[in-house]
Amino acid sequence: MKDKVKDEAREAGATEKVEAKIQTDAGRVKVALKGRLDAQTTGRCWRQLEGQLQKGDFKSLEVDASNVTVSGAVGAALLRCLSEGGLSHGLKAELRGLKKETATILDTFSADDYRTTGPEPRRHAAVPAEVGVWMRGLLSDLHEQISFIGSVAKALPPALVHPKRMRWGEVRRVMETAGANALPVVALVSALVGVVTVIEAARPLEKFGAQIFLADMIGFSSIRDTGPIVTAILLAGRSGSAFAAELGTMKVTQELDALTTMGLDPLRFLVVQRVMAALLLTPVLCLYAMLIGILGGMVVMRSLGFPPLMIYNQLLTRVDMTDVRVGLTKAAIFGMVIGCVACLRGLQTGLGPSAVGASATRSVVACIVLIILSNTLISTLDYFWP
Amino acid sequence: MNAVIETKDLVAGYGERVVLEKINFHINQGEVVAVVGRSGSGKSTLLKHLIGLNPPLGGEVWIEGKNLAQTIGPERQELLRTFGVLYQSGALFGSMTVFENVRLPLHELTDLPDRAKDMVTNSKLRLVGLSDAANVLPAELSGGMQKRAALARAMALDPRILFLDEPSVGLDPITAAGLDETILQLSCSFGITFVIITHDMESIFTIASRVLMVDEEARTIIAEGKPADLRDHSKDARVRALFHRQARPQKQPRSTENGHQ
Repeated sequence: MKDKVKDEAREAGATEKVEAKIQTDAGRVKVALKGRLDAQTTGRCWRQLEGQLQKGDFKSLEVDASNVTVSGAVGAALLRCLSEGGLSHGLKAELRGLKKETATILDTFSADDYRTTGPEPRRHAAVPAEVGVWMRGLLSDLHEQISFIGSVAKALPPALVHPKRMRWGEVRRVMETAGANALPVVALVSALVGVVTVIEAARPLEKFGAQIFLADMIGFSSIRDTGPIVTAILLAGRSGSAFAAELGTMKVTQELDALTTMGLDPLRFLVVQRVMAALLLTPVLCLYAMLIGILGGMVVMRSLGFPPLMIYNQLLTRVDMTDVRVGLTKAAIFGMVIGCVACLRGLQTGLGPSAVGASATRSVVACIVLIILSNTLISTLDYFWP
Repeated sequence: MNAVIETKDLVAGYGERVVLEKINFHINQGEVVAVVGRSGSGKSTLLKHLIGLNPPLGGEVWIEGKNLAQTIGPERQELLRTFGVLYQSGALFGSMTVFENVRLPLHELTDLPDRAKDMVTNSKLRLVGLSDAANVLPAELSGGMQKRAALARAMALDPRILFLDEPSVGLDPITAAGLDETILQLSCSFGITFVIITHDMESIFTIASRVLMVDEEARTIIAEGKPADLRDHSKDARVRALFHRQARPQKQPRSTENGHQ
């Protein structure tokens, strides 16, 4: 595509071609340039001269520039390169017959431009140094996340003690967009996870005549694991990224600076509301996901021939309120983590237009990793110290 | 002298909303023309029509002897390459360094060898005084430096015409004066034609050879001439108000209110 564009440009610019006639005589080279050197014509001429002048071992090089005009720096670059010996193994060309305007333009193109070609190459550190920098960054980031969660945890109780200071309208708006609007997608994913869990386990359990225990499995998994995790991951993807992008945009547009200079703490003014909303809505959303997940599993069990009452009784004999408590505790912790980490990523947004997108991505990745980590930790603690 | 830019009964606007009409002017090679007017008078709208971003609602825009709206395909690409544009915000690509930004048009639109592209990029950066900021991302530059980097990018393909949209907005007087010097140098050395949208009177008197003034209510060009002539001899209250920074135009006899100066 790019080549096509260049070809079209060449064709369109073909009206003002530049010609280079090269004559060699006993090691002396004479180049006669004719036409206009501009951004479209110089490339071809440059390659032609480079190809010819680097073939032989010449004693002198003379360029007749009396019939050539230059449009600006592009044409001047070729003349300067010839005069500095850049196309002829260091053999400097003598430019003759330069027109006054061409000479003026050539003067604006310094020899420094010829010598310093391109930006300085980026320096790469040694591998151990890179690993060290990466580890330091990781630890520093972890420290920042923990201290930020601590700051938010410290700011939450005063907001509850003095509810008038809390911007409940903002909490309600976030709960609506992050919670109520997420109900369909949470229902769909939870139901499908419930269905798949039962379908995958049905055949192995059939070999042992233990298919009734599918009810135990769907109950345990939906209430203790898949319900909270599905809810949290969807929340991280839908709302965590939105939190990070919102705060990131506010930082880029200096709205956060405006808050700070007004004496308003962005943490109290923006973060606490979002964390509070996430903290309140995640357990509710999780409870909804648990029920839908169990219903999805029950539908499959019903199609395998189990009566609903039997499934219900089996479920109640195994699953109790402790499991629900564990599931909801997990959900609340996940909500807190998502709210805090997403807001932190938003506040950490750097400079430039790509920074907001980068913050949203970092927020989703960090939230999902922390959700899985904390889920493992809670399940392990619950197993060893019920 | 041949006109490099010419408008014939141009009607400028958006959709069905007409902002300016009966726009007729021509600009010759090497001229530095400032387009002035109050905020909202349609200066930037006019610029969008001159550079082909918006098609004319009526009339014609001619660049280098070609009707911009009717030039299509490779010929239009070639025509677009004859001019560069400096946007008000700079419009530098945030994910690229200053060097990469300036080199981009050379890389994408020419078949120059890499060495030539680097050399030209270096020369453009030196011309705007940004040789030391080549490896910096635009977000790390000050507003003035961003403007200069954007100017270097607009000049990358050695355009014959440069359109500048409020180049000195947000710049300190010293940086703005430096930008004026660069524009004058480019005009003298390379014979580049400049069309500058600006409110900066100091800059107008320093660099502009001619001024076009557009007016929101008249919806057309109400004055045209040398900056000093318009300031000192214009009988149009609106022109005097702009050049003398008066809050409200002082009333004049009806016969001198309309028409070109």
